Amino acid sequence: MPVPLQANATANATAGQPSAPLADTIAGALGVGGLGGDVLGALLGAFLIANVMLVMTAVAGPWAKRKITAAFTDRIAVNRVGPFGLLIIVADAVRLLSKELIIPDGADRPAFDIAPILIPFSALLGFAVIPMGNGIHLADPETGLVFAFAAASIASLGLVMAGYASNNKYSLLGGLRSIAQNLAYEIPLVLTGASVILFTGTLQMSGIVAAQTETLINIGGIRIPQWFAFVNPFAFVLFMLANLAEVGRNPFDIPEAPTEIVAGYQTEYGSVYFVLIYLGEFIHIFLGGAIAATLFLGGPAGPILPGFVWFVIKIWAFFLFTQWARSAIPRVRIDQLIEIGWKGMLVLSFANLVLTAVIVGVLA
Amino acid sequence: MSLEEPTETEIEPVPQTAEELADLLGDRVVDREEHVNAPGFVVRPDDVQDTLRTLREEAGFDHLSCVTAQQYADRYESIYHLKKYDDPTDEVSVVVPTPSEKPVSQSAEPVFRTADWHEREAYDLVGVEYEDHPDLRRILLPETWQGHPLSNDYDQNRPQVVPLREHANPLEEDHRAGEDADTMFVNIGPHHPATHGVLHVKTTLDGEQIADLESDIGYLHRCEEQMCQQGTYRHQIMPYPDRWDYISAGILNEWAYARAAEDLADLEVPEYAQVIRTMSSELCRIASHMLAVGTFALDVYGDFTAIFMYAVRDREKVQNILEDLTGQRLMFNYLRLGGVVWDLPEPREEFFEKTRDFLDELPEALEEYHDLITGNEILQARTVDTGVLPPEVAKSYGATGPVARGSGIDYDLRRDDPYGYYDELDWDVVTDDGCDNFSRLFVRLREVEESAKIIEQCVDLLEDWPEDERTIQSNVPRTLKPEADKEIYRAVEAAKGELGIYIRSDGTDKPGRFKIRSPCFSNLQTLPEMSEGEYIPDMIASLGSLDIVLGEVDR
Repeated sequence: MPVPLQANATANATAGQPSAPLADTIAGALGVGGLGGDVLGALLGAFLIANVMLVMTAVAGPWAKRKITAAFTDRIAVNRVGPFGLLIIVADAVRLLSKELIIPDGADRPAFDIAPILIPFSALLGFAVIPMGNGIHLADPETGLVFAFAAASIASLGLVMAGYASNNKYSLLGGLRSIAQNLAYEIPLVLTGASVILFTGTLQMSGIVAAQTETLINIGGIRIPQWFAFVNPFAFVLFMLANLAEVGRNPFDIPEAPTEIVAGYQTEYGSVYFVLIYLGEFIHIFLGGAIAATLFLGGPAGPILPGFVWFVIKIWAFFLFTQWARSAIPRVRIDQLIEIGWKGMLVLSFANLVLTAVIVGVLA
Repeated sequence: MSLEEPTETEIEPVPQTAEELADLLGDRVVDREEHVNAPGFVVRPDDVQDTLRTLREEAGFDHLSCVTAQQYADRYESIYHLKKYDDPTDEVSVVVPTPSEKPVSQSAEPVFRTADWHEREAYDLVGVEYEDHPDLRRILLPETWQGHPLSNDYDQNRPQVVPLREHANPLEEDHRAGEDADTMFVNIGPHHPATHGVLHVKTTLDGEQIADLESDIGYLHRCEEQMCQQGTYRHQIMPYPDRWDYISAGILNEWAYARAAEDLADLEVPEYAQVIRTMSSELCRIASHMLAVGTFALDVYGDFTAIFMYAVRDREKVQNILEDLTGQRLMFNYLRLGGVVWDLPEPREEFFEKTRDFLDELPEALEEYHDLITGNEILQARTVDTGVLPPEVAKSYGATGPVARGSGIDYDLRRDDPYGYYDELDWDVVTDDGCDNFSRLFVRLREVEESAKIIEQCVDLLEDWPEDERTIQSNVPRTLKPEADKEIYRAVEAAKGELGIYIRSDGTDKPGRFKIRSPCFSNLQTLPEMSEGEYIPDMIASLGSLDIVLGEVDR
C-alpha cells in the first residue's frame, strides 16, 4: 500500500500562475474582497508567518542551541528554570532587552542602527515565498526561488554595514570576511539551486514542490517520491555545504570567529541590537533549511503527519545539522575558505549542472 | 693520511672541565666563582658578548637558560646561566659585575635572542642597564613606574603617582604609520578570547596577514620573586609555586623550588617520597596537557566545542585523584623540603584502584582525541606547516618543553638531568620533527601516554612498598639557614618546559635572591618568529600551541 504523500501545499496553487494562497484564505475567511482584502490578508499572513518564525527562533536561540551543544559536549545545560529549563527563554529575553544599549563613539549612524534591523528582516522576507504546507504560503510568484535567494543575500549587506559602522577594527575585518565568504559561496549555492530548475522547469516554489511529488521508484510497496535529494544526491550535498557557508556556521563561521576577531561584525552590538542580530542569524539558518527543504526534500511533503509539521521537522533537522557541525568541525582559515569556494565548490557546481542535465535527460 | 678527510685527532676536543673552559676564555676571566650547580666565571661588562659567543661556539653551551640580575651592597651583578641542549647537566655561569654607580653591561641579545626579554626584566626589576640591547624598556611593570623594585634602595612606601596625561591616550594616535600606510594596527588582548589570559599582542596587519607583532606582558605580575625573598625556606615559600603555572601544574612547580632548595641545603629526600613526587607530578602534567589540548582545540575550532569539554572531563578525573592525594584541586601545597606533606590517602587500595581506573580509561580517551583532533583533515590543513619554529631558532630563544620537542629538539630534564625517581622508570621522551603547530599538539598528546606509563609504574612500586619503610619526609631542621653566599640554579621539567629556580643564600632563613626562570616566558618570545607573515588565525593557533600561562609569564 503506497503511503499517500501530503500534497496540500500544491493543491491550491496552479503552476505557472502567481498567487498568494495564505493571503487569499485569510481574506476569504474575513469576508473582505477586492484590493483591501488582498492587502489585509497579506499583512495578516505575513504577521502570522513572521511570528511563527520568531517563536521558533526564540526556542532555538536561548534554549535548543544550548541543549543541543550540551548534548554534543557531554554537559547538561539549562535545567533550572521551568520544565527542561524552557523558561530560560523568558529569562534571557528579559535580561537581553533590559540591558543598556551602548553605541560606541564614532559609530557611523544610522548605518549602525539599520544593520541589525536589516539582518533579521532580510531573512524573514525570504519566508514569503516558501510553501510551508497546509496552505501556509504567503506568496507564490513565478520567480519564487530567485526572490528567496535575493532576500537571503540582503543579509550580507547588513553584515558589511554592521562591520563598517561599528568603528571597530575587529568588526571591519569581520565585515570584509563576510563579504568575501558570501561572494565565494553564493555563486555555487545559486548554481546548485539552478540545477533544480533544470529538473522542474519552473522557478515557482509551488511548481518545484509539485515536481517532487511524483514517484521515483517503488521499493517493496513503499513509494519513494521524486525528491531532488534522491534524484541527485550530489547536488544535495553540494547545496548543504554551500548553505552552511551562506549561514556562516562551522567550519565556515569565519566572519564571526570569536577566538580570532572576537565575533567580528557584531562585537560592538549589545542589548536589543544584539538580540536582533542574533535573531537574524537563527532566522537565516531556518531560511537556509527552508530553501533546502523546498528544493531538495519535497517541501512540506511527508507521510502521515500534516505538511506543516513535516516542514518544521525539516528545517529543524537543518538547524541540528548546523549545530552538529559547529560542535565537531574545526574552522577553516580565511584563505582556505576562499580557495575551497572558488577552486572547489564553483567547479563542482558547474559539474553538477552538467550532471543534472544528463539526469534530467535520462528521466525525461 | 689524505688531506680531504680530517681525522679524529685533528678535531679540537670540546672543553669539558672548568679548567679547560677557563683556558678557553683566557684572560677574559677576571675571577672565578663556584656555584653549587656550575663553575662561575666573572667577566668584565664589555666582554659579555665575546664570552658567550666563545662558550656557545667553541664549548657547545647553546642554551641560555636564564639571566639573573641582583644588587649587592657594592655592585650589581648579572648572571648568565648557560647549559647545553645535548647535556643540561653541563652548566656554566657567566657572572658580570657592574659598579653600583653605573650599572651598565653589554647585552647578550646579539648572541642569544632569548636575552632580549630576560635583560629587559633585569632592567625593569633590578635596574641593570644593557648596552646594545635593541629595545631596553620595562617589561613587567608599567612604563611609567618609578624605581626598580628589587634594587636595594627601592622605597616600597613611596606612592607611584602617574599623572593622568600620561595615560590620556593609551592608543598613541591610533598607531597610524602614515596617511598612505596600508597596514592596520590591532590590539589583540589583553581581553581577548584566545590570549589565554591577560596577554596583549600588538599586531600590525597587512590585510589579514601579520606584518609585525609584539607581545606586551606584565598584566599579571604579582611580585612572586619578591614574595619568595620575604618568605622562609622551610615553610613560607612552598605555597607560592602553585600560583605560577596555576593550570593544575602546581606540584611540578613546587618540585622546582624543592629541588633547588634541597640541593642548596643538602637535604636528602627519602626514596618513597620521591616516588610519590614523581607520580603526583605526572598527574599534574596530564592535567596540564589536557587543558592545553582542549584550549588549543578551542582556538582552532571556534566555539565551545566537543574537544574542549571532553578534555576538561578527562582532566576532572586527574583532579579528583589529586584532590584525594593532596586535599586540594588547584593550589596543592603538597611538597615539603625533604619529602611530601603526608602519605597516600587511606584506604590505599581505593586510591590505587581509582588511579588505575583512570589509567585504564586513558587510552580510549586519547583515541577519541586523535579521532577528533589530530585525525581531522581540516585541523591538519589548519595546523600543519603553520607557526613553523625551526630548531635553531627555538634554541636561540631558549625554548623548552613541548615547544622545543615539537621542533625536534630532544631535550627533557627528566631524562637528561634526572631527579626524583625518573631514571629508575621506563619511559620515552617524545619528539616530533614537524616544527609546526601540529607537532606541538601531537607531542603533548603523546606525552600524556608517557606520563601514564610513569604513573602506572609508580603505582606498582607504591603498592608493594614495605609498610615500615614508608618515610615521607627526611629530617629537616625546623629553621633552615643555608650557609651564606651559596648560589644555585636548578631546573625541573615542568608541564611547559624548563622551570628553573636561582637562589642565593645570605645566611638567614630567607633567600637573598630568588629568581624564577619561567618556561612560558622564554617560549612566548618565539611568537613573532612563528607568526610574522602568517594569517591571524594561524597566529592564534601558534599562541595556543605555545600553551602559555600568564601567571607564569608575568610571575
